Amino acid sequence: MTGCGRLSDRIPAVASGTAEWMPGELQHLAECDECKSEWNLVSASRRLGQRVGENIDTEAVAGMLLRRISTNRQADRSKRRWTLGSLAAAAAVVLAVWLGGLNGPRVLAPIGNRAPMVETAIELPELDSLAPAELDSVLQRMDDPADTGSGTDQVDLGDLNADELQRVLDTWEG
Amino acid sequence: MPGPTIPDARTDPLLVAAYRNGDERAAAELVRRHAKALGGFLYSLGAAPEDVEDLIQESFFRAFRRLDSWRGGASFRSWLLAIGSNLLKDQVRKRKEKLVPLEDRDLQAASDPHAELAASDVEDRIRAGLAELPRLQREVFLLRAQQGSDYGDIAAILGTTPGAARVHYHQAVKRLKELVR
Repeated sequence: MTGCGRLSDRIPAVASGTAEWMPGELQHLAECDECKSEWNLVSASRRLGQRVGENIDTEAVAGMLLRRISTNRQADRSKRRWTLGSLAAAAAVVLAVWLGGLNGPRVLAPIGNRAPMVETAIELPELDSLAPAELDSVLQRMDDPADTGSGTDQVDLGDLNADELQRVLDTWEG
Repeated sequence: MPGPTIPDARTDPLLVAAYRNGDERAAAELVRRHAKALGGFLYSLGAAPEDVEDLIQESFFRAFRRLDSWRGGASFRSWLLAIGSNLLKDQVRKRKEKLVPLEDRDLQAASDPHAELAASDVEDRIRAGLAELPRLQREVFLLRAQQGSDYGDIAAILGTTPGAARVHYHQAVKRLKELVR
């Protein structure tokens, strides 16, 4: 074997149709068994690929591929939405836990240079004179919703006689 | 019924850019342009005929999903073929199977059975010879001989140098000549 490779760099290009033989190259190809053998090898390997390629329905492949890409994009979008939703929920939980962890007197967030406002006890001396049962009754009413609607026990001041009205006013004035 | 598809004159880089901007027709054109070459390449590398279309679709799918990694150092086709080759390698490894024996060949029926038989015999021997080559030699030979890629392109996608690709090609040619003779 001589191992001639004179046409090696040209054979693939000519076999693929992107170049043509020069007259001297053609002459060499006709006389050199090594180059002829390489030419046959490259030509046959091209045919091998082409014969399989002919059977491929490129339109069908393209259609299936585009459908798959579209489906995948939708899945990616919903996955992204789900991830963002989860992150938002997690952030809300963290915030709630953090706020709930602030014990002691409830300090409102300072605004500007103002001192923080501390929740203070409101003194109601008019309640001091009440008997325990009366105090319970008052406290129970304070817990009731402000809007009592059309409750049957709601009494209008206009329904009271003069003595009852005076007692109510005395109670208010302490 | 839709008429024949008019070939798109845009270059591969322009089609890739158009697809990135949401033009799905550009993706379809890239498939039309390269699917047959990819199929022939995969079959020559040893893919089973019944797997070729699935491998083509998967190769394109992966390529379109990571278009950012194609920087134009190699042609789009060579880059796509490299993706297909890696996919086939993974498939073979997963199945723990050897390359497809020649008896399983399932190609289109020939119009001239005698001439086709002789041609297919040579091609079968080439395919059998390719299966005996080291992977790099096999890929370099097919990219150069079958696809007409230049050594710079081959080196870029196979992670080697043009000089080394040239050496692999000549070693493959020498070995295949002996096997096919």
